[in-house]
Amino acid sequence: MKIKFWGTRGSVPSPGPETIRYGGNTSCVGVTLSDGSLLALDAGTGIRNLGLALPAEPTRLHILLTHLHLDHIQGLVFFAPVFRAQTEIVIWGPASPEASLRERIARYISAPLSPVEVRELPCDVSFRHTPETEWEIGPARIRAASVAHRGPTLGYRIDDGDLSLAYIPDHEPALGADIEELEEDWISGFALASDASLLIHDGQYADAEYPNHIGWGHSSLSHSLAFAHRTGPERTVLFHHDPLHSDERLDALGVEARERWTAAGGAPGAIELGVEGGELDLRTPARRPLEAI
Amino acid sequence: MQNASQKPLELILARNLMSALSTPAFLVDEGGLLVFYNEAAGMLLGRRFEELGTVGPEEWGAMFGPFDGEGEPIPYDELPLVVAVRNGRPAHADFEIRSADGTRHRVEVSALPILTTHGSQGAIAVFWPASTQGTEGR
Repeated sequence: MKIKFWGTRGSVPSPGPETIRYGGNTSCVGVTLSDGSLLALDAGTGIRNLGLALPAEPTRLHILLTHLHLDHIQGLVFFAPVFRAQTEIVIWGPASPEASLRERIARYISAPLSPVEVRELPCDVSFRHTPETEWEIGPARIRAASVAHRGPTLGYRIDDGDLSLAYIPDHEPALGADIEELEEDWISGFALASDASLLIHDGQYADAEYPNHIGWGHSSLSHSLAFAHRTGPERTVLFHHDPLHSDERLDALGVEARERWTAAGGAPGAIELGVEGGELDLRTPARRPLEAI
Repeated sequence: MQNASQKPLELILARNLMSALSTPAFLVDEGGLLVFYNEAAGMLLGRRFEELGTVGPEEWGAMFGPFDGEGEPIPYDELPLVVAVRNGRPAHADFEIRSADGTRHRVEVSALPILTTHGSQGAIAVFWPASTQGTEGR
């Protein structure tokens, strides 16, 4: 399983000289499975560059949306494959009692917010609510579960052979709870992340910022570290960086995260910050720092 | 696939809310199993949830009741939490419960089902001291 980070930013795109190294595009992670098939996790503005990197030949791909906040779907109408008739795209996302996934996404892909309508997209696109039980895409088994965030929001777990990826980019598991003391089965997202090869998790706020953002659906650094300690992934990437966090600020947060992680008994090198353009091969045993390639 | 168990998010959030309330509150899962009650409920019952743990209806009934005005046990099927879980409808009743030290408390109970896009996940019940005018017949 190979991972590429196409967008690591949360909330809103934040391009500029202060965010060049960690990137300014919003959430999107490309996952190449063992048979070569491709999954896109979320469709923030990062998916635009993913689309540009794909060959123009006929293809089938799956997009797994955690939720429909704009920073997770904004790139859909700028994703080149949706304008190719020979492309088949399956978009998975959370169910809502209010409207179907297609209807809710169409609120964005429609006038006046978009120059095109969903029905006008040339590709063969279908929309599916994630099932309650795991399902298969190619060689992978996929599981979705609701996690603590604002509005219907999912986390995903992807198991391909003996490798596993947990993706929970928007998550506030410590809202009203002490996740260091709580029983495992009462921690939001626990089963998804438990003993994963890689956990990609919300790392939006520094501890000092969190008190002013309680209930906004994101984690402080302490919460992210505690969640990773409790769930035990081999490696954790903090993701969904706050748009106000410059490269320098994120460097400092990364140093703090690593120091606190190892001080608490975590394996050195097992926690880092997501970098736009960074790649990971989960088969690679050596711990190479995640850097834009 | 991982083996870790996981409560539904709606129960997790309900528990988090209940933990912050000063009103006695109880939480059951979709099978009617009592999976949590808060500190205020623990004070009413005389036992903290951490001491008791998850219990089924028979064990719960043997320890705490509830009882009707004649002191007779109320059938499990008639309890507001059970009605809420099974029927997906809110339910209300008043009855007596027995705390760990044997003291009886008359309470009013309102239970709400926890319904999601995946169906019923359980129910939450809030206990209030019974009003002096009574609510029998509701």
